[in-house]
Amino acid sequence: MRNSAELTRREFIVKSVTAISAVYIIPDLIPKAVAAKPLDLEVSAKTKWAINVDVNKCVDGCTACVEACVDENGLYGFDRPETDSQWIRKLQIKDIKTDKVTTLPMMCQHCENPPCVDVCPTGASFRREDGIVMVNQHTCIGCRYCMMACPFKARSFVHENLTEQVTSAPRGKGCVESCNLCVNRIDHGSETTACEEACMKEGHHAITFGDLADPKSRVSLAMQAKPSRRLREDLKLKQRVTYSGF
Amino acid sequence: MDKITFTKFIIDPKIFWSNFILLGIFILIGFGCSHYMELEGHYVTGMNNQIVWGLPHIFAVLLIVIASGVLNIASISSVFDKKLYKPLAPLSALLAISFLIAGLAILVLDLGRPNRLIVAMTTYNFVSIFSWNIFLYSGFAVVLAAYIWTMLDREVNKYSKFMGTFAFGWRIILTTGTGSIFGFLVAREAYSTAILAPLFIVMSLLYGTAVYYLVLRIISKFHNTYIPKDVLDNLKKLSVMFLFANLYFLGLYHVTNMYIAKHWDFEIFILSSGGIYTLSFWLGQVIIGIVLPIIILSSNKFGTHLALTIASFLILLGGFIAMYVIIIGGQAYPLTIFPDHVIIDSSFYDNVVHSYIPSIYEFGLGIGGVALALIITLIGIANFKFLPTMISSSHSSEPSDKTTGS
Amino acid sequence: MSQLTKILAISIMVFIPISSYSHGDEKHSLIGESKADKLDQCVEPTEVMQKEHFEFLYHQRENTVEKGIRTKNHSLANCIDCHVSHDEKGKAIPVNAEGQFCQTCHVKTAVNIDCFSCHATVPRDNSSKIKSTGHNQNIHIESTANNLVEYYKETNYEK
Repeated sequence: MRNSAELTRREFIVKSVTAISAVYIIPDLIPKAVAAKPLDLEVSAKTKWAINVDVNKCVDGCTACVEACVDENGLYGFDRPETDSQWIRKLQIKDIKTDKVTTLPMMCQHCENPPCVDVCPTGASFRREDGIVMVNQHTCIGCRYCMMACPFKARSFVHENLTEQVTSAPRGKGCVESCNLCVNRIDHGSETTACEEACMKEGHHAITFGDLADPKSRVSLAMQAKPSRRLREDLKLKQRVTYSGF
Repeated sequence: MDKITFTKFIIDPKIFWSNFILLGIFILIGFGCSHYMELEGHYVTGMNNQIVWGLPHIFAVLLIVIASGVLNIASISSVFDKKLYKPLAPLSALLAISFLIAGLAILVLDLGRPNRLIVAMTTYNFVSIFSWNIFLYSGFAVVLAAYIWTMLDREVNKYSKFMGTFAFGWRIILTTGTGSIFGFLVAREAYSTAILAPLFIVMSLLYGTAVYYLVLRIISKFHNTYIPKDVLDNLKKLSVMFLFANLYFLGLYHVTNMYIAKHWDFEIFILSSGGIYTLSFWLGQVIIGIVLPIIILSSNKFGTHLALTIASFLILLGGFIAMYVIIIGGQAYPLTIFPDHVIIDSSFYDNVVHSYIPSIYEFGLGIGGVALALIITLIGIANFKFLPTMISSSHSSEPSDKTTGS
Repeated sequence: MSQLTKILAISIMVFIPISSYSHGDEKHSLIGESKADKLDQCVEPTEVMQKEHFEFLYHQRENTVEKGIRTKNHSLANCIDCHVSHDEKGKAIPVNAEGQFCQTCHVKTAVNIDCFSCHATVPRDNSSKIKSTGHNQNIHIESTANNLVEYYKETNYEK
């Protein structure tokens, strides 16, 4: 009878191989802050932030990405859905050819030819070198022309006085805002946006974020795995946000 | 040659001051509304994330379009050399300045951050037509001031043709810019078309003529301004011409849109299934704004003055409703974001036609702007010699309604 | 002549910059204790900060927003982190409140600051904010969209 405290050779090998490989593999499964861009370095076009959404993995009724965005950026509302800001929203769409219903998240598409940047009178709406389209709220005069111009209704106007902003996401009354790919967080080295992290935590993995210039990034791999498309392709806006699965 | 002299509006002080104070009250209410909107935030208005431009913008665009169009009377005299209109030119330029300032004031006071006006006037993104417009509108005011100067000061009168042509060209570009605010928007099926620029130009010509006639009529009730019958008949013919031009461009815009399958849903929405927007389009923009005035102005049943007065009112009402259909109707229809898909559920109102119920504050701001235009006109005509008196015996004169010391 | 010298003397006295007003050894705010109270100087020497702190902030905000340069030294968040006071219970007092760091100078100089209509007045991370449920509700409204789908079906849209 084998003493339960002693290992057989087989057990020993299996256990040690598992332990050793765990040490190597598990860290790769958890997105972590890698050697990020140094804080004093300007962003450059060498980085190409992008998001891919796999529509088939998105689950109806789940709003984890929306809640995470609200948490991360302090997008508290006043229970006035017509004027409260939404940087990301869940949509349910029906294919008119097959009546199939799909659900997906919708946020600023971070176009390479953004109409919102073209129309801003002060240049407040701008596209950063690394591809993030955002509003410079120091210059925004609140004319809402960019909101008229956006083909995806991605922008929101802050309609009331705010007092409980989070430090990492300054936002105020009278300016226009939209999803900025969690710019504060990724500039400080985070490898995920809040929506992507929430989707991962839920286990759906519908949203993937990353650097297109890196062929091994999650978004590059997702886009290589499945054919993806941009919304309203006829406008030729060359969005950085792509959708796969419909 | 008849000698044209210009005169100030010699008006009973009681009437002047009572009008001044009345308009002043409306202006103060307008400022108060704007201040409240800025203090509390725009949630107090009817505008929201779906309908981002509302009643203030309807008023502002209409006033600016009128400003550009009312200069047409002066342009006809200076640029097209119709001596008949020469006495009426300075008043037309004054009206252009006052309506322009009013339209701009409304626009600026509705901004989310009007305290950043200095930023708007110093940082320009020249890809944006809005940015060009800021430059065009303010420059127009300067050009108009110079133009008025050349018209009223005999020493520089010889430059009035040059200034008139310059102002004419500037105003065409300005109205093109105003139409292109919408025409350059690729996102919406209602806009994104070059034809909005000429449509706005003919709209400006139409509304400007209507406003000019109405203002002239009001003034002539108090002042011995004699409007020759030729001018009235001419205004009638001009108005009918502009009405047909409007009909043409409007028809062209909608018929072309119907050929574009992408835009079909929106066209059906405006033309038949849009509820209030369809009603406004057919009843307001087309029937009240274009068809009825054509009938009234072309028929012989009404006297010239009555026909022009009623037609002008209808034209302006139709113009207001036209702006409502263009600006609000264009935003009301939800965007078609997904090809071959229909959005059936959204927390951001992507799946429904957006409704817009203006608040009293927006209306107050708009009316305050109109009052601003009128008060500038009032101050102008009372202090400077904008009104014509003609010394002549060879024209058959209309009996003037009232004779105050002229 | 003596009139002139009198006027000259008065104008010189009036226009001497009021550099005497500095926090120096005083506490930075009237209520509460902040990290800055315990430190000798700010990120730059005190006179420099007094005269040019807004220049640093303007420059930094351009760098941060447009270029993504997020150095801590001149960032507003860093200012707040150090200068915010905490009351006896350890709760942070908004840095632009009456009697707090910003106001003790800005009220006297009558310069209005607009930073805090957008920036957080206390260091606040994302775990402590107010939640609302508005975003999670999907609006179930009979929509024109449904009519459109019917319309497509009726006109035999190619399937």
